[in-house]
Amino acid sequence: MTLTLAACGGDGDGSTNASTGSADAGAASGTVRVIMEEVPDTDIVKEMLPAFQQAHPDVDVQIEALPYDQMRDRIVSSFLASDPTYDLIVVDNPWMHDFAQAGFLEPLDDRIAAIDGYDHEDFSQPLRDIASVDGTTYAVPFYNYALALVYRKDLYEKAGLEPPTSLEELKAAAAELNEGGRAGIAMQPQKGYKIFEEWANYLFAAGGKIQNDDGSIALDSPEAREALQAYIDIYRESAPKNSLNWAFDEAIRSVSADKASQLISYNWTLPTLNAEGDQAGNFALAEVPGGKAALGAWFWGIPANSANKDGAWAFVSWLTDKAQEKERVIAGGAPVRDSVMQDEEVWEQGFGEEYYTTVARILEDAAPLANGPNAEEMINVVGEQLNAAVAGQTSVDEAISTAAQRAQETLDK
Amino acid sequence: MTPWLRRAFLLLAAVAVAFPYAWVVLASLKDRQALNDPASLGFSPTLDNWREIVDGGVLESALISVVVGTVTVAVALVAGTLGAYAISRYRTGGSATRFGILISQLMPPAVLVVPLFLIAFDLHLRDTVIVIVAAHLTFVLPVVTWFMIGFFDAVPRAYEEQAMVDGHSRFSAFRTVVLPQVLPGLGAAAIFAFVLSWNDLFFGLILAGGNTRTLPVAIASYNTFRGVELGAMSAAILVSVVPVLIASFYVQRRLVRGISAGGLKY
Amino acid sequence: MVPLGLLLGVIVAYPLGYSLWLSLTDRRIVGSKDATFVGLDQYAGLLDNAAYGVAMRNTIVFVVVAVTLELVLGLALAMALQRQRRARDLTRAFLLTPMFVTPIAVGLMFRFLLNEQLGAIPAILDNVGLDIDFFGPTLALPTIIAIDVWQWTPFMVLLLLAGLESLPRQPFEAARVDGASAWMTFRRVTLPLLKPAIGIAVLLRALDAFKVFEYVFATTRGGPGDATETIQYQIYRTGFQFFRIGEAAAMAFVLIAVVLVLATILYRRFLRPEASA
Repeated sequence: MTLTLAACGGDGDGSTNASTGSADAGAASGTVRVIMEEVPDTDIVKEMLPAFQQAHPDVDVQIEALPYDQMRDRIVSSFLASDPTYDLIVVDNPWMHDFAQAGFLEPLDDRIAAIDGYDHEDFSQPLRDIASVDGTTYAVPFYNYALALVYRKDLYEKAGLEPPTSLEELKAAAAELNEGGRAGIAMQPQKGYKIFEEWANYLFAAGGKIQNDDGSIALDSPEAREALQAYIDIYRESAPKNSLNWAFDEAIRSVSADKASQLISYNWTLPTLNAEGDQAGNFALAEVPGGKAALGAWFWGIPANSANKDGAWAFVSWLTDKAQEKERVIAGGAPVRDSVMQDEEVWEQGFGEEYYTTVARILEDAAPLANGPNAEEMINVVGEQLNAAVAGQTSVDEAISTAAQRAQETLDK
Repeated sequence: MTPWLRRAFLLLAAVAVAFPYAWVVLASLKDRQALNDPASLGFSPTLDNWREIVDGGVLESALISVVVGTVTVAVALVAGTLGAYAISRYRTGGSATRFGILISQLMPPAVLVVPLFLIAFDLHLRDTVIVIVAAHLTFVLPVVTWFMIGFFDAVPRAYEEQAMVDGHSRFSAFRTVVLPQVLPGLGAAAIFAFVLSWNDLFFGLILAGGNTRTLPVAIASYNTFRGVELGAMSAAILVSVVPVLIASFYVQRRLVRGISAGGLKY
Repeated sequence: MVPLGLLLGVIVAYPLGYSLWLSLTDRRIVGSKDATFVGLDQYAGLLDNAAYGVAMRNTIVFVVVAVTLELVLGLALAMALQRQRRARDLTRAFLLTPMFVTPIAVGLMFRFLLNEQLGAIPAILDNVGLDIDFFGPTLALPTIIAIDVWQWTPFMVLLLLAGLESLPRQPFEAARVDGASAWMTFRRVTLPLLKPAIGIAVLLRALDAFKVFEYVFATTRGGPGDATETIQYQIYRTGFQFFRIGEAAAMAFVLIAVVLVLATILYRRFLRPEASA
């Protein structure tokens, strides 16, 4: 495997292909070992590989797709080893800060700037913010998983309801639709990540926030208490019975089996729910009450010890460039570029105008669960208290204050 | 226990065991929508899930698990038997050794896996079957040794002594006289060891690459970010259970006899 | 002896040693590459760690209850199987199968079997008018125990059945001649003779039960609250989700110490090498 010497400047010299804005085809070569999660978005990327091969015949991209836990465990294990395992990785947003601080990720500002027409600002603002740690950009967005309200349009229409814009309205709508064998809303109170991810939307709806601008924890607030109380009330009134350990899987199944009328979940579940089954076509997407949603996203990152940074960058810049991004989204990928979300062709060939414009609106005002060091642990610590409150093991007041306290302790570790 | 009571009890146990399996069999034949109502019985069966696991390489994973299990057991039997013989006859290390062997059984895989991963890396053995075998040996070797110590203890020393008087060397005496005695025990230990290796998820999760996935890892991989693929996973579970069921039908007699022949004497 | 020693040394001792080293540092997977040696700080930190204490308590409760249930059920089943004549091999083989299913699959199986809306078991219970919150705050740990019992009672059955079949006939003949009742025979003859078998079965099963992880991972992730937090699950989370591998190693060694103490007691009481049947 030889990296051509011309590649050491490597990032798209003057002869870039103006319409695609990607790196110069001749600049990079060699093998690029990629690790990704086993999700449909990865499948879409795999399908695009032949096209990349044509544009960059000297670069051989090898993708290894694994389930989330296994993938994370391998990435983590390989950081400990002396030899590089992967040349390109996907990075989940809670890991960004820790990885960047540990020096595991290659800074990308120069590479991004070197490409004409790449238009980094085109990526949604919240996504760019996550990828930037202490002013340096370490990653480029891959796909988003911001949360939204996915509801049964037909049931709403029959009851004369509009998508709720506040916690009160959500509570009322859920109670109204809670009848027969069908719960008003399927919730995901599972301890740890899931409950926090769901509850964060309630927190935002109540006007609260998780962190202050300086990064310190802002959870200990009356808004948080209000949000938690509302969450518990809605769980007790309108969620399926005995669903305290429910996570994504149970909630989605419940909704698609007509056993619940709505749920708060990732925006890309809408196409999936509408695709097949008895309830196909009955679902619609709305912003979560209050308009500010919890945000999660996956990014592309180049390990600092990657053996083929230029090859990796050639692939990433090609894939995330406007033209390819459009292809990817039309094929069903979750969007990250504003221009693509506003593109009429995408509307036509993808999932329709309403879906993309809603996603665009969601991304305008979305925030990640944690931004800073030890993010995973912080999320877990808060999630534990939230779940304990819903289980009735602690009071709302105690749960919030303990959560805030422990979260702050975690950040300071 | 009266015969009636006994049979009722066994029947109850059989139902308790069979019920989850029945559900798994049904689930493996349901399509995605029917799966959302896992308790339903009236549905049109489909072979899609089975097709998917064949395409998804579950059969290859099963093969790898068989290979890993066999190699692990072979190594464990050789090393374990020799070591057990020494511990039994020479009382090497006293009861502390016997006991100490069990300690590594206790060690949480989450901690052991990190050094194992690093060693594999440095020796360029990553993603090979060898690493997984080594990892499995950490919990298989102690169990096999433990068992064999018991079996050897049950064979009176007089046997070898007699053989040595007749002119055999120590090793030859071991081979011709003692070993046949513990053969059933060897079989039992081998089967136990194989099952332990067959079931392991954790080490396989971290140490296996795309090409060296073991069967439990393949099953676990159906627990995706987008939900558990119940249909395919159920089919994969059956792939892991049915061969074992058939094998255990033939083997359980030997297993029980093997253990009772000496593994429980102390 | 040499091959065994070598193998054990390399494969077991080195990782154990390295892990011990890890537990004495503040090594984090995403920290700086050079971990600082902090001596016993990690262990001291555990004393303050309330969550670790809860997990230890949950794990011990789990082991004691699960193994006891498995012992009782296993013994009953083994005795029943011993007498069973019809379809002998088939029954035995079938009843042994649960332990051959990889635990994560068992966990996921029960997650969906016990699901309120989608599971077969609540559906059946509903018909009888019962409403059980399997994964609720009070029943979550018992549910995990039940899953363990489903999977591992066969293990006990296997060992106890072997023990039963190897018992000499003579004491039982004597008891019959003396006119002892079934219960008396059981208490005075069967049980004492089975002591070694029971001892081994309990020891092996208990050691394994301390490592309970897959069921929690597949169903509750430690919840609700901290009802199903177990040590192995905490270690995994601390090491691989929070990236604090040094602390995870310390947690592991404390567990080993605790179990060593418990196991020594068990060993002394049931398995003294001097006492032969």
